Amino acid sequence: MNRSVTRRDFLKGTTSALLGASLAFGRERESAAKTRVVLVRRRDVLDEDSRIDADVLQDMLDEAAARLLDQPDGASAFRTLVKPGETVGIKTNVWSYLPTPPELEAAIKRRLVDAGIEAEKIGLDDHTVRTNPLFVNATSLINVRPCRTHYLAGMSGCLKNYIMFAESQEALHPDSCADLGAVFKLPQVRGKTRLNILCVLTPQFHGRGPHHFSRRYVWSYKGLLVGRDPVAVDAVGLRLIMAKRREVLGKAQELPPVPKHIQLADTRHGIGTSDPEAIELVKLGWDEDILI
Amino acid sequence: MKVMNGSRALGGVAAGLLAALTLSMGGGELRDLSDRVPREVGAFAAAGEDRTYDRKTLYDYMNGGAEVYLAFDFREVWTRPYADPGGRELALDVYDMGSPAEAFGVFSCDREDPEAGIGQASEYGFGLLRFWQGKFFVTVTASDEGEDVDEVILELGREVVKHLGPPGDGPDMLAFLPADGLRPDRTSYFHSSINLNNRFFVSSENILRLDRAADCVFAEYETGTEEEAFLLLVRYPDDGKAGSARGSFLAAYAPEAGEEGLARTEDGTWVFASRTGRFLAVVFQSPSPEWARRLVSSLRLPEK
Repeated sequence: MNRSVTRRDFLKGTTSALLGASLAFGRERESAAKTRVVLVRRRDVLDEDSRIDADVLQDMLDEAAARLLDQPDGASAFRTLVKPGETVGIKTNVWSYLPTPPELEAAIKRRLVDAGIEAEKIGLDDHTVRTNPLFVNATSLINVRPCRTHYLAGMSGCLKNYIMFAESQEALHPDSCADLGAVFKLPQVRGKTRLNILCVLTPQFHGRGPHHFSRRYVWSYKGLLVGRDPVAVDAVGLRLIMAKRREVLGKAQELPPVPKHIQLADTRHGIGTSDPEAIELVKLGWDEDILI
Repeated sequence: MKVMNGSRALGGVAAGLLAALTLSMGGGELRDLSDRVPREVGAFAAAGEDRTYDRKTLYDYMNGGAEVYLAFDFREVWTRPYADPGGRELALDVYDMGSPAEAFGVFSCDREDPEAGIGQASEYGFGLLRFWQGKFFVTVTASDEGEDVDEVILELGREVVKHLGPPGDGPDMLAFLPADGLRPDRTSYFHSSINLNNRFFVSSENILRLDRAADCVFAEYETGTEEEAFLLLVRYPDDGKAGSARGSFLAAYAPEAGEEGLARTEDGTWVFASRTGRFLAVVFQSPSPEWARRLVSSLRLPEK
């Protein structure tokens, strides 16, 4: 059995470290050895009715990608990720209550075209990625989805987004979806993910009801988390969810069910880093109520 | 219109009466609801096909919530979508949970809103109605909020409950709980560590060795201080399993606890794990050792 994370770890204040979601992230810390994750936020990306300003969102994606890859602009950044002639699959998420915003999908697609990818060679799919020819033939993948809690896995982030590549999703459910990281080693996926984008425009920090969704537990955070490493991106996303839960639900409910798959994607499957000391979180833009 | 001969028509009437009787007894087919539940409520009308999903197909209906039901004795769910001319949507779900205790269980694990006065217990808030009646658990979910939608949701719930048969008895274990200081509307019944951790996070691993064969009640108690305490009572299939679960829990959660199973935790409160026969009682966040011992000794456990 793995070392259990218990409520007492949480009381000791060691839970975050154990989950790879430490408070120790620093602004603009420089270290070549660290895995970089960029958080970009803009106050004006959503209006009062949560409608998205597509131009602002495009700017956010560009700014984050450029900073992540040390490039002058978004188009240049995407040119370092993919090459002309490639087939690229954008693994999106169509969950009806909180899907990947179409404006974000369009922003990614625009930059892929700018990078020389033919529009007809860009796939956009969720449930049928295993059979979609554009994903079967893809040489690069972009992983994008909203951030939310999940009754079983604890958190649905970039790691869980790839569950549709698995032959059996149900086979990945035992033990709180502990082995989601294994999906990234499947032949259709291994070594192909160029960018992970966790949409935190309106994250969901708690779930209720028959489909684990209630609007009361969604808030306008107005951000994107962007990184090359899905484990590191999810570790930061978890920290955000925990911070919001603590603020609204209280300390006793800071943790959703433990998203152990994030840590195990690192320690068992070796596909990324969940160690907070090895993650450099770069924060750009609006910092009001930033929480992390 | 087709004309049936006399015996077939009589057979059809008899079958209909039988179906009505079975459903009213709480053991009927959920599909019968298609003929009984109104297709129009206020400005909303049925929009799309009625569907049913069982344990194998539930994942086709919900992503992220199926495990909630599969951790209980869920049999099947009947669903019907509604919409109004403005495009606002409602979803009606009626779950056959196999028994009244299981229906209470799935209802009890997720209570946050005020009572709505429908069925054996209910709650309504933010466009979500939940209630249980007999072996059925029901939800009505709205895509949008508004006073007119609130009224339609509650009206639909009142219509549905008419067709779910008589009330049933909740879990027998509720009667074992000491009444003094108990917050009844915060008591949950379940079997799985998934439910426990969503209700009250204990451990990332299943250190209490819970499974479908274990019956659990989780209760909140007022302590006379600002903080409440929590009681988890588990009934295992036999004494041996209860004993090994206690050992597993203490080894992972409170290795410093002595033979009595009592330890002080980092927030200054106490955790206490005590076994009686096949029952294991764990008190979390007790203000003192004495308070925890008193709560456990007040349990009204059966002789066997």
